[in-house]
Amino acid sequence: MKNRLLVLVVIVSLLLTACGGGQTPAASNAPVTISMMMWGDPAELEVWNQIVTDFHQANPNITVNVEVSDWDSYWTKLKTLLSASTPPDVFAIDAPLYLDYQSRDVLMNLQPYLDQNPDLLKGVYPQTLEAYKTPDGMYGLPRDFQTIALFYNKDMFDEAGVAYPTGEWTYDDLRNAAKQLTKIGVDGKVTQFGFSADLWDMELIWSEAIWAYGGEVIDADHTETLIGEPKAREAWQLFHDMLFEDKSWPDPNTVGEYGDDPFLAGVAAMTPVGHWAVPGYAEASFKWDVAPMPKGPAGQATSVNSAGFVIGKASKNPDAAFEFLKYVVSEPAQKRLAELGFACPVLQSVAESDAFLKQSTPIDHKVFLDSLAFAHMKPVFKGYDEWSSAIGDGMAGIWTGEAELDPTLDEAVQAADEVLASMK
Amino acid sequence: MEYGLKPLGRERFWLWALLTPTFIGLIFGALGSVIATVVLSFAKWDLLTPPSWAGVSNYVELFKDEKILLSLTNTIKFTAMYVPGVVIISLFVAVLMNRRIRGVGLFRTAYFLPAVTSAVATALVWNMIYGRDTGILNFILERLGLQPVCWLCTENAMYAVVIVNIWGAIGEGMIIFLAGLTAIPREYYEAAEMDGASGFHQFFRITVPLVTPSIFFQTLISTINAFQAYDYIYMLTRRGQGDSSVPVVVFSIYRNAWNFFNYGGASAQAIELTVLVALLMAFYFWLERRYVVYE
Repeated sequence: MKNRLLVLVVIVSLLLTACGGGQTPAASNAPVTISMMMWGDPAELEVWNQIVTDFHQANPNITVNVEVSDWDSYWTKLKTLLSASTPPDVFAIDAPLYLDYQSRDVLMNLQPYLDQNPDLLKGVYPQTLEAYKTPDGMYGLPRDFQTIALFYNKDMFDEAGVAYPTGEWTYDDLRNAAKQLTKIGVDGKVTQFGFSADLWDMELIWSEAIWAYGGEVIDADHTETLIGEPKAREAWQLFHDMLFEDKSWPDPNTVGEYGDDPFLAGVAAMTPVGHWAVPGYAEASFKWDVAPMPKGPAGQATSVNSAGFVIGKASKNPDAAFEFLKYVVSEPAQKRLAELGFACPVLQSVAESDAFLKQSTPIDHKVFLDSLAFAHMKPVFKGYDEWSSAIGDGMAGIWTGEAELDPTLDEAVQAADEVLASMK
Repeated sequence: MEYGLKPLGRERFWLWALLTPTFIGLIFGALGSVIATVVLSFAKWDLLTPPSWAGVSNYVELFKDEKILLSLTNTIKFTAMYVPGVVIISLFVAVLMNRRIRGVGLFRTAYFLPAVTSAVATALVWNMIYGRDTGILNFILERLGLQPVCWLCTENAMYAVVIVNIWGAIGEGMIIFLAGLTAIPREYYEAAEMDGASGFHQFFRITVPLVTPSIFFQTLISTINAFQAYDYIYMLTRRGQGDSSVPVVVFSIYRNAWNFFNYGGASAQAIELTVLVALLMAFYFWLERRYVVYE
């Protein structure tokens, strides 16, 4: 009996070692296979498979295996792989979450490679590089970026006889137009809203408005939340008035009734969103276009955010992985991304070429590039997700009409500051 | 006591050889993760850097952190409404479905359908039912001359999700009770009928005592399900990016771990949940000894 148990133990341990299979680092010119992981949908996977095939043709020694998951599963899967020290060689990162990983020492410092390729990032929009810079160099490269613009339903504007939004619009113009575009039925129910925007994360409306009113979102050291300062409060007050006085903006409960996107559902005349919405809105049955975000007392402002790629610190093929990153910011790959139509290419020459500007959806794509001139970077700091949740969750009651604006905002700021303190 | 044949000689070897894969799965998979959760609940861990010892601080947070307390209160409220709801309604439905009526198979299927439908898809349908301005429920209420209700606003959302969860669980409860009901000999009812017992008396004096094993089992299962309920609740109450207006413990665990890099705290919450369920189970088994009738 005991002997047999011993045999079993041996068999099991042999099996286990077989599973853990030895890997030997590849010699510099031998063919290597690298893994690449990203979030996205089937349309994006198709384009990335194409980019990978092009890359393989240019670098026959390197094969890239692409794996795409939806947003939520992507992060769960990535964290699990990282904690098991078997991360994909290359993986996608959203700029605001970048420091959560960089600060935990799981990313490879790309600076030595960048120093060897000083011209690599010459044609890349500098605003999109900012997020990846750390005191000891860059640990990631952007692949595409998003600025937020004002999408408007032309049919609704025509019907109401309101002039289309322009780059000269102020937030007061926005409010007035929204009021004119809102239709309230005899029973008091709103059947058409002038405006709709997500109030949970800063990216779509509230950071833009706070900046335009001369306020700030967070201080430079990321130790203090500034959304409760007097100038920022003017922006919050504007939202509050539009929701509850004008009723030109649906509350979150109502937004949920329209599949979370009243603009796409054809019940809201305007919505601020990024270029990622373009392929989806292209299917809409109404005519629409885009305009720059409005101006506030302190000028015009929008938000710029990027998605990028990083290399896992545990990668066994960092050279091949960096070759791929180089290819991603090169013209052929950037052109494919432009044709995909989800985001703006980071390579200026491609963004300003017909590949991006003359996409199949006939809208003014240039608005997204011109917006860079007055764009603020979406803040990047460790604990972004938790901080953002403290604000989003904390203020949710205001927008459903269950809580007072000022005291609830104070509480949310306090909760957000506690998160910042816990990150130190 | 010993049952059956004892394995002998070579058989014994193969017994172990064939059981080993299952044991490995059990030890490393189930038992391993339970032990890991217990250990992690005493640690501060962000998954990416090595864990550090945190003592009982994660457990202290369970009683201090307002968000964690809120999620616990919500889970308890939910369980208190959900478990009796499921048991009573599915017993009622099972009694109705236990008759020889035309098309009973069709009705049984209809009641069981939610159990085999994707929770995410049905939650979307419920969203359309509950909608304040466009919902079917409010449309009916208004036609009846009543005031529309904001079903998914924070003050009502709990009741709204309890209703949906009960609706989704009736089918499985009905199956359990049907099995119990069909096992009751018809003679009992015939004898009672002869003695002039009313339907009401028959139900409470014959049916209920004889299905107590099913009631016990269904209460147990429903309680476990209530503590783990997540999908309908999240789909109906989600807001913003990953927030919920009715956060329950499972939701809070997921968010703390996967969104906020707080695996230690999430593990402590998981242990808390397990202990609560275990206590309730102990209470149920105590009740079982006193009240459950086995033939």
